[in-house]
Amino acid sequence: MKKIKKSPAGAAKKEARAAVLFLVPAFLGLTFITYLPLAAVFILSFFRWTAIMPEPIFIGLENYIRLFTADMYFWTSIKVTVQYAVLTMLASLVYSMAVAMLLNRKMPARGFLRAVFYLPYIIPAMAMYTSWSLLFSADFGVFNSILGALGLQKVAFLADSQTIIPSISLIAIWASGNLIVVYLAGLGNVPRVYHEAAEIDGAGAWQRFWNITIPCMTPIIFYNLLMSLVTYMQVFVPSLLYAGNNRTTYPEYLFMSFLMYRTGFLNNNLSYASAISFVFFVIIGVFTLILFATSKTWLFYEGGDNK
Amino acid sequence: MKKNLKSRILASLCAAVFLGLTACSGQQATPAPATPAPAETPSETPADPAASELAATERTMITYSFWGNDEELRVLEGVIEKFESEQDRIGVEPIQLDRAEYVGALNTFAAGNQLPDTGIMAEDTVLMWAEQGMLADVSQMYGADEAKPLDSLAFKFNGQPVGYSVANEVLNLYYNRAKFADAGVDVPPANVADAWDWDTFIEKAKLLTFDANGNNAASPDFDVNNITQYGVMLCPDFWQLEVWSNTNGGAWYDANGNITINTPESMEALQRVADLALVHHVAPQYGTNTATSIDQDLLQNCAMYVNGAWSVGVWLGAAKANDGLDYGVGVLPYMEEKVTLNTGGVNVAFNTSANKEAGMEWLKWYAKEENSWDLIEAGTWMPVLSEYYTDETLTRQWVENPNFPPYDEYKSAVVDYAFNNARPVAWYWVNNTNLFNNALSSILAPCWSGNDTIENAITTNMDALEAAHMGQ
Repeated sequence: MKKIKKSPAGAAKKEARAAVLFLVPAFLGLTFITYLPLAAVFILSFFRWTAIMPEPIFIGLENYIRLFTADMYFWTSIKVTVQYAVLTMLASLVYSMAVAMLLNRKMPARGFLRAVFYLPYIIPAMAMYTSWSLLFSADFGVFNSILGALGLQKVAFLADSQTIIPSISLIAIWASGNLIVVYLAGLGNVPRVYHEAAEIDGAGAWQRFWNITIPCMTPIIFYNLLMSLVTYMQVFVPSLLYAGNNRTTYPEYLFMSFLMYRTGFLNNNLSYASAISFVFFVIIGVFTLILFATSKTWLFYEGGDNK
Repeated sequence: MKKNLKSRILASLCAAVFLGLTACSGQQATPAPATPAPAETPSETPADPAASELAATERTMITYSFWGNDEELRVLEGVIEKFESEQDRIGVEPIQLDRAEYVGALNTFAAGNQLPDTGIMAEDTVLMWAEQGMLADVSQMYGADEAKPLDSLAFKFNGQPVGYSVANEVLNLYYNRAKFADAGVDVPPANVADAWDWDTFIEKAKLLTFDANGNNAASPDFDVNNITQYGVMLCPDFWQLEVWSNTNGGAWYDANGNITINTPESMEALQRVADLALVHHVAPQYGTNTATSIDQDLLQNCAMYVNGAWSVGVWLGAAKANDGLDYGVGVLPYMEEKVTLNTGGVNVAFNTSANKEAGMEWLKWYAKEENSWDLIEAGTWMPVLSEYYTDETLTRQWVENPNFPPYDEYKSAVVDYAFNNARPVAWYWVNNTNLFNNALSSILAPCWSGNDTIENAITTNMDALEAAHMGQ
């Protein structure tokens, strides 16, 4: 009897020990590659240090005070980053969900079409943004040629405060093939029986979508929202390509990642860039928390206990 | 037992973290030496014959960082091979970096105490590095009787030269000869005495700007929404705008480095540049053309293009040979003063180098025109020694090759213009121009689309510009 009782406990202990051992490499990696550098960035933000200064000088909260009270770019940067991230996150949610719904239907060449919609996601970012700049070009771009042919006024899509964010947001939405794949996986798991039951009860397509598909998909939607929020908050490539390297920098390109990069690596002020990046980290954290907090009101798990 | 195990694990982890911290901070905590470590002096002849033999067989290897593509690396490797064949004391290892990431990479090297011995530097951060004592004083590099680069090509911090431009690049008006012939318009003057004034320039540009129906911008039927060819395009490199303030008798800074961009002359000139698109429709909105492929633009999109002398080597020479582009070059139009800007990437020796003297010897050798002749002949670099501008034999040696327009035209429009009418870009003597240009670029952005005026944007943001100028 004793043996029978002891054996599962011993096995559990053994398993736990093995789990700890297997976690050690990941733990060490996270510690040395993520958490310690993060701590170093936080500490550095209380110093004045350019990469080319002999040694850092402790200045307390000066970097943060300057950032919040005197920096000409900071508030603009937060504003445009949030605008871009929220717009792109919501629009890509609608777009990728709609495409996934269509691609989930039985149709000829479905596999091919799925690949077509996924493809933009794996195109190298620089190539993708360069190609889109040819479409958006204010002077000889495809979109403006169409507008011109229709007798409409040209639009400087990438060089006008009103159009920069929607334009680059459109590029990101077009490239959200990863979200489509996740939605497709989710749609495949929506129990068919619910739809059949609803159909028998006379529910229309819209009712079934709204009352069955969407609730069943909320964990997937939450995951995609979370991932895309974090990704879009860190937008960088369009700024580098369209506004970096001695180009005119419209305020709408001053995303926080770009501001951080320009301050730290182009203008040598690493400690100030550390302060920016730490504030940026906190902002992303806050938005993530908001998403988690609101998710309790709309997230639905099949288990029914919301856990 | 459990407690013991836990304690041991905890202690091990703490030790690991501590060791990791020490290891990580080791590089950062060690400051870059303000004064260089004693330099090895391989160039000195050792008294001991055995040592002498050693010096002859063992090269001091130095590193040289640069930006460029694989073709430029190949050219540089040829240059290095030549350098190493002429002496046996110094070897050079090139470090190839991407242009867009170059400054960031150097900063990363500096943070890790891994700077190369020598390297090319972006102009707008040279004095920032000099201020921190990172750049060696190169005034001793040339003897009193040696030919030095033009003084206008010396970056000076507190009066001391910290680097010389590797090339002398000036801004000019490049054009497609065929488009002028088709429109029946005289080509831009190559002689500075005949330079177009601003009004003439706009008048000519209008005759070269066409809509889809073939009407030019001077025609009452001209359709501004269907432009198929502009009269002129400007390179989007923001610093180049300074030249227009200069031509109007203004400047972005005075000789002491104080900001003067808020003077009426400086602001009026920039407004006139904005009006090329907003009022006259002879150029695209400034900054919308983010590419700099001047050859393709001259072939397809515009008749004239303002850009630097490197355009010949990077684009125009090849377009002439491969695409049949018959390009010409003229002096810039002017508002009040006939002036252009000169600049050029700068070669520096880093103070952190243990082989500073060897590094300077390499830089001095490399700066000689005959050692970078491939780049000069191609038209990418203009010579830095004054003889090439004053001695016709040397000028002909440089300019008479198939990449360039006819000798007389280039000599007058570029060589003489550079020698007599060029002013250095402010970054040769003003610090923090990178921060200033960042700020100015964002401040002026609404002006290019007509949402603000240059005067209002500058005068209401002078505090921000002053702060940037002070390094904030």
